Amino acid sequence: MFWSVIAANRRKTVLLIVLMGLLLVLSGGMIGMAFADVYHPYAGLIGTALAGAVWIIMLLTSLFASDTILLGLSRAHEIDRKTYPQLFNVVEEMVIAGSLPAMPRVFVVDDPAPNAFAMGKSPEKSCICVTAGLLAMCTRDELQGVVAHEISHILNRDVLYMTVAATMLGSILLLSDIFARSFRYSSTVRLASRSRRTGGRAAGPLLIVSLVLAVIGPILARVLYFSISRRREYLADATSARLTRYPEGLASALQKIGESTDMLTSAPSATAPFYIVNPYRQHLSNSVFATHPPLEERIRILRAMSRGAGYLDYFRAYVEVTHRREKLIPASELRDEGRVEIRKGGQAGGPVQPARPESTRRAGDIIRALNGFAFITCPCGLKIKLPPEYREGRFVCPRCRREHPVNRPDSESVGSVLSASAVMGRAASAGGKEPRNRGGREGRDGLPTREVRYLPGTWQKITCTGCGHAYEISPRFRARRLTCSGCGAAIPLAPVHEPDGRSSGLPA
Amino acid sequence: MSAGTVVFIILAGAVLVVLLYLVITFNALVALRNQIKNAWSQIEVQLKRRHDLIPNLVEVAKGYMAHERQTLENVTRARAQASGAKTVPDISRAETALSSALGQFLAVVENYPDLKANQNFLALQEELTSTENRIAFSRQAYNDQVLFMNNKVEMFPSNIVAGMFHFRKGQFFELEEQGERAAPRVSFG
Repeated sequence: MFWSVIAANRRKTVLLIVLMGLLLVLSGGMIGMAFADVYHPYAGLIGTALAGAVWIIMLLTSLFASDTILLGLSRAHEIDRKTYPQLFNVVEEMVIAGSLPAMPRVFVVDDPAPNAFAMGKSPEKSCICVTAGLLAMCTRDELQGVVAHEISHILNRDVLYMTVAATMLGSILLLSDIFARSFRYSSTVRLASRSRRTGGRAAGPLLIVSLVLAVIGPILARVLYFSISRRREYLADATSARLTRYPEGLASALQKIGESTDMLTSAPSATAPFYIVNPYRQHLSNSVFATHPPLEERIRILRAMSRGAGYLDYFRAYVEVTHRREKLIPASELRDEGRVEIRKGGQAGGPVQPARPESTRRAGDIIRALNGFAFITCPCGLKIKLPPEYREGRFVCPRCRREHPVNRPDSESVGSVLSASAVMGRAASAGGKEPRNRGGREGRDGLPTREVRYLPGTWQKITCTGCGHAYEISPRFRARRLTCSGCGAAIPLAPVHEPDGRSSGLPA
Repeated sequence: MSAGTVVFIILAGAVLVVLLYLVITFNALVALRNQIKNAWSQIEVQLKRRHDLIPNLVEVAKGYMAHERQTLENVTRARAQASGAKTVPDISRAETALSSALGQFLAVVENYPDLKANQNFLALQEELTSTENRIAFSRQAYNDQVLFMNNKVEMFPSNIVAGMFHFRKGQFFELEEQGERAAPRVSFG
């Protein structure tokens, strides 16, 4: 059943963590022993104790401060039922499905990159964080899949285990680094003195072992750490499917996340394992150093669950897709799981927000503006968005090779982006509502077409009311009509001199 | 050590093991029974939520769909019956009827674009969707627990402990979806 699967997985993770701990103790001891006759006869023990102390200090700091640090670093703000009713509802539903003892706090990060993470040492005190980009592009079903994935991280106490494992990895890396450095500086002297005193008996093999450990230890620790991380991702996917009874929801959400080109600007690299997909696109996505299983594989496993939404079905699909025989979930725990039916998708009556590219782009621009992106509109028509990390004073347009000075946005230019994208959005939606006619005959015959309003002095999008062809018009454009190159119709244009209503149009 | 002592030690050990098993199983059964109770109260909370939501929904819809009095009355009547039901099978039946009345209502709503665009109605509809999901998910959690309990009560050797302390099997909470159980059943009786 549900709980025993989690318990079994917990045992496995604990085993891996114990292995890492052993590695930590061993490297501490070996490093101590390598210096044995220089410093103290009990150096081995001292080294071990030191390694343990380093780890405990790191563990305590990260356990007590990690929530605050991560939420602060990713600039998350807490939301309530009033501001995001649907997100809040979806989280509450999943809390019920997973029988979580308390409602987690819900946070939203204003970032156009779709992603999500969960924090919290125990199911009683936890938080879930999603990005605005995810909210903008997901349907209710997909959002539910993602939230269920995060809820299962909380149920599995993944954050606790990952923190323990991460600090161990950190300590091992630190120790081996210290060892390598001290060795490099004084190896010849110490080697000579040691072999003279001990007569070259014990020092040789011991030194080789500690050397090997210093090299292998960090690699082994990394492999262990990432294997824990990946195993937990698979299990969270399986639990998500079981909680929602709808694997396709998470699968299509993962697909949308994978197709998105936005990068999360606010994720510190150390926190990568906490996200639903790695915010840093990996080159080694299939290697032993990956924090997450490859996205395509996760999607294929979820889509291969044709028979049901239970753990057994996920496990079968896992074997089918990966051809790996590794026991993801112990078979003995799957015995008494009854048949878990997949429910139908398209949640009845829910106001599923369609992913409109125009409004998504607009929301993205607003968020980029708030995050300190610089916007440059090149006369060639290319709109350049520079991230705050770009430090050069000038930027060469990749299309027409014009040079532009980069002005870092102040509050005024942020406001202008907001109002410009609001105007753009209105123009686009006005155009979108007109019936589209790809044939274009009517346009050429000069059928009266509706006036399109535009704001001179800004870049904006005009959509031909006859055929739906879109144009970018430059700030210098002042004419009253435009001949559509798609259908030949003359589009009457009405310049407006004041943007009516300075509503920012922030995504709700 | 005489043979008697050895036998005594073995017997005492066996009795201890049996006692330990008894205690563990008993505690597990009690925990399960409490979890089932808890899961059931969660269902009741969500059903109550649905019952509270329906009058608002009907009130908003009334202004737009005066000609659909029959549909609205069906919903109101089904709600009244559901909130009066007491036992698990009764509640199952009444809630199934309410779900089907709501389904018809939402199908009729499709014909009223003005109503579908109403902000209040949209908010209520999101709440209704969420409530339906909550009912489904709490039912899911409840049935999972009941299945686990029933396995314990029926399977050897925990069935002995369950029999000794009168643990009974739980009742599944079923909400049938309209038209889904229409598949023909073949009987080999």
